[in-house]
Amino acid sequence: MVSPALLVAVPLGLAFCVPLIGLASRKAARLVPIVACLFNLVVSVRLLSAALEEPIVVSMGGFSPPFCITLYAGPVGLLLSALVALAGLVVSIYAVSYIDKGATTRYHTLYLLLLVGATGVVLTGDVFNLFVFFEVLCISSYALVAYLGDRGGLEAAAKYLVQGAVGSALLLLGIGLLYGQTGTLNMADIAGRVGSVGSASLFVPMALMVVGLGVEAAIFPLNGWLPDAHSSAPSTISAILSGIAIEVGLYAVIRVVFTVFGASSALLSLVFLGVLTLLVGEMCAFVQGNIKRMLAYSSIGQIGLIVFAVSIATAGSVTGGLFQLISHTLSKVVLFLAVGYMIHRSGSTEISSLQGIGKRMPLTSFAFTVAAFSLIGLPPFAGFASKFLIVRGALAEGGTLLSVLVGLVLVGTVIEGAYFFRVIQTIYFGTGEGDAARHESPAIALVSMSVLVALIIVIGVYPSLISDTLNSAASELLQRGAYIRSVLG
Amino acid sequence: MSFLHDYAYYIGAFGLVLIGLLIVLTKHNLIKVIVGLSILDTGINMFLIAVGYIRNGTAPIFSRPGLEAGGMVDPVPQALVLTAIVIGVAVLALALGIAVRLHREYGTLDMRKIKELRW
Repeated sequence: MVSPALLVAVPLGLAFCVPLIGLASRKAARLVPIVACLFNLVVSVRLLSAALEEPIVVSMGGFSPPFCITLYAGPVGLLLSALVALAGLVVSIYAVSYIDKGATTRYHTLYLLLLVGATGVVLTGDVFNLFVFFEVLCISSYALVAYLGDRGGLEAAAKYLVQGAVGSALLLLGIGLLYGQTGTLNMADIAGRVGSVGSASLFVPMALMVVGLGVEAAIFPLNGWLPDAHSSAPSTISAILSGIAIEVGLYAVIRVVFTVFGASSALLSLVFLGVLTLLVGEMCAFVQGNIKRMLAYSSIGQIGLIVFAVSIATAGSVTGGLFQLISHTLSKVVLFLAVGYMIHRSGSTEISSLQGIGKRMPLTSFAFTVAAFSLIGLPPFAGFASKFLIVRGALAEGGTLLSVLVGLVLVGTVIEGAYFFRVIQTIYFGTGEGDAARHESPAIALVSMSVLVALIIVIGVYPSLISDTLNSAASELLQRGAYIRSVLG
Repeated sequence: MSFLHDYAYYIGAFGLVLIGLLIVLTKHNLIKVIVGLSILDTGINMFLIAVGYIRNGTAPIFSRPGLEAGGMVDPVPQALVLTAIVIGVAVLALALGIAVRLHREYGTLDMRKIKELRW
């Protein structure tokens, strides 16, 4: 059995090998992220089947749990680390042809560090370690947003950095207050002790931590940086920020609220925030003329949907929320990657300039369409199964309030459908100017997108393939007692 | 006065945090915002140290007989602060790097004038 610690250690080591390999050959340096992601994907999937029976707890440094830094490789952590590795693999294959200008070796180093941060956040069982990995993730994404070095990218990176740094500072303040009250940093140990601390004095650290993490997760009032950063970054980075970074931030919020604090009373406000985030995101996306900004706002909407589903906190809705998280990652990565070469070929980011691109780039447009249909929630794609589970889970919980909120969520989905259909109509039925010669994306980019397109269809047709994993992931989040026992013994 | 005496470090730390936040929220010059972030970080580091500090405490090393664990300063927050300082330096260096490039592109550091990306 391989240790889950290697999921962090191997990419971290390889990240700093990239500049050395780049000295010998810049072409070889591009392949290092592919190797690292492939390793992580294989190890995560193999460990996942073992973790379904019993979560794997690794104690670093040879001390026993509350005193050491623990890695908690349960179903949630390994599912998300497999997702990070999968998305990372697809995007790094795409980047072989797409990232051809500028400091490419530095790009690949930062890209791997971003993935290390994301993997570390989902696997760690220690709140301070969470902060450290979170900062690794954030700092590399600030730098990557500014990678192109153009005016828009620099401005977006500056805004993102200031907001992200304030968020991280609040997170650290929350961790400090929590340490002052419980005297420990281990998540399971804190979870066991918060019961004996007054709920009034726990409110401040929880609020600080949720707000700090919520900046990266782009929950509604904290998402000012996202549309700028996602639309100004290179498309590969937009894909990874949208598909991985905000999901990982969201995971951290969920872990802190559910496992560390067990705050069932805070969940109702998160349900409302989720619906608000969803509606604001979808309505802003509707009015965008820039396709990358539209996709960025659509990510905000999807995050709202996931927050809504998970905060209802029943087995059915949490399963649906995690399913939605996976299907959003799969589709949004494909959308950003497809748009990357569409923008490259048409020379503009405006939706109106994509007229008739369906004839010039039929395969890329097909990938875009499948991913957009999945995001809207049309059968037989993955998004249908996940949205269906969310609605069923929310309605099974009952109550007038939730029924009204489900209605609002469906309104959000209709808006989402409206703007995606408008783009698809422009792509296929718009009259392109002049030459209609075929000019497809490079083969390697098409291969990378087709992997995810195939997965979207397969998971959509056979959702039972991942339902066991999702069910045990949901029960890991909902059962704090089992989490505490499995770490502290 | 005993309240001030007991909680002086916490008052100072939260004062720095609030000053930092105020600067970040109200200033438009990017360099000033970065200075605000630095003050915010310093306040948090001071707060972390204050959590584990004991007046007249000793280092947590059993160097001579007769030392009691009760009089020792908690070493964990100090380890956290070392890490937090390193992270803070990295963020500040990156922020200043971006500020230099922004000034080269736009000729100004006023964030009110740097706004090509709106809606």
